[in-house]
Amino acid sequence: MALPVLICDDSLLARKQVRKSLPESFDADILTAGNGVEALAILRSQEIGLVFLDLTMPELDGIGVLEAIKQDGLDCFVIVISADIQPEMQKRVTELGALAFVHKPVNPEKLVVILKQYGLI
Amino acid sequence: MSTVFSEEQRDCLQELINVAMGLASDKLARFLNTFVHLQVPAIELVNSAQIPAQFEARYSNTEAALVSQGFLGNDGLRGEAIVLYQLDNAHRIAALLGYDTDSASELEMLTDISSILTTTFLNGLADQIDNSLSYSAPRVLSSRQNNVSEALQETAFHWELALKVDISYQLVDHSFNCDMLLLIPGEAVLNIQKILERILEEY
Repeated sequence: MALPVLICDDSLLARKQVRKSLPESFDADILTAGNGVEALAILRSQEIGLVFLDLTMPELDGIGVLEAIKQDGLDCFVIVISADIQPEMQKRVTELGALAFVHKPVNPEKLVVILKQYGLI
Repeated sequence: MSTVFSEEQRDCLQELINVAMGLASDKLARFLNTFVHLQVPAIELVNSAQIPAQFEARYSNTEAALVSQGFLGNDGLRGEAIVLYQLDNAHRIAALLGYDTDSASELEMLTDISSILTTTFLNGLADQIDNSLSYSAPRVLSSRQNNVSEALQETAFHWELALKVDISYQLVDHSFNCDMLLLIPGEAVLNIQKILERILEEY
């Protein structure tokens, strides 16, 4: 059965880059959101198995989304895909429950390794 | 800028710049040994003749410095990167980094910071468009004693266009504001549009 996946980034290019980086063997139903508020609205209204989450976004940033996911006890995996690559940011998102921290522009090979590691493909 | 680039092109350019800025922030954070709050830099393409007036207000009532570094790449990619600093906090940051607190050391620090920001940022941008750049040594065009507007005017005069990248760095302990300007020749717009279209076609 296809996994419901949400790609959240304010950049259309970045959303397309993530989508194109996913391996063909990954059976996913993909939804997209342009900021954190849109992402939370989707996460609260339907089951999402995996979120690809940007950090620097208008309205509500990725940190805000991670905090809300934690607070609401929403059951989904989160892979952060970020241009902000400072080690302290990586530590922060890991503490907030993100599975992995991937640098932009996203590297398809690295993404496959992570998806395999967590049994998603 | 909306008249020059389509909405998709603008989004693409913004994302390329965000990624490059992320790399530059990380380098700067390591250099300053602190965490840098990264904001999405506002970008705007303007005629370089408009530049001095746009910065007059921000830099006229404060001590400021201006550092320039030329860049040159393949396919006619060339320009001059300018970093403008408000110097309010410069002496504090210089002291934190272990520079002497005289004005010569302060300029040395600004040159170092400019070099990190400019080369990391531009290398990050070049990597994403399969280009590579070489750089001239950074030059201080104006310091506390000089008039920033005049220096900016003289420099901007040599180029037709400027890609303004508003950077505001908030360090954990102190604010550090600077603006980056990429001065580029007029024909660069067509090149940039071509590059953006090529990237957009890939996705």
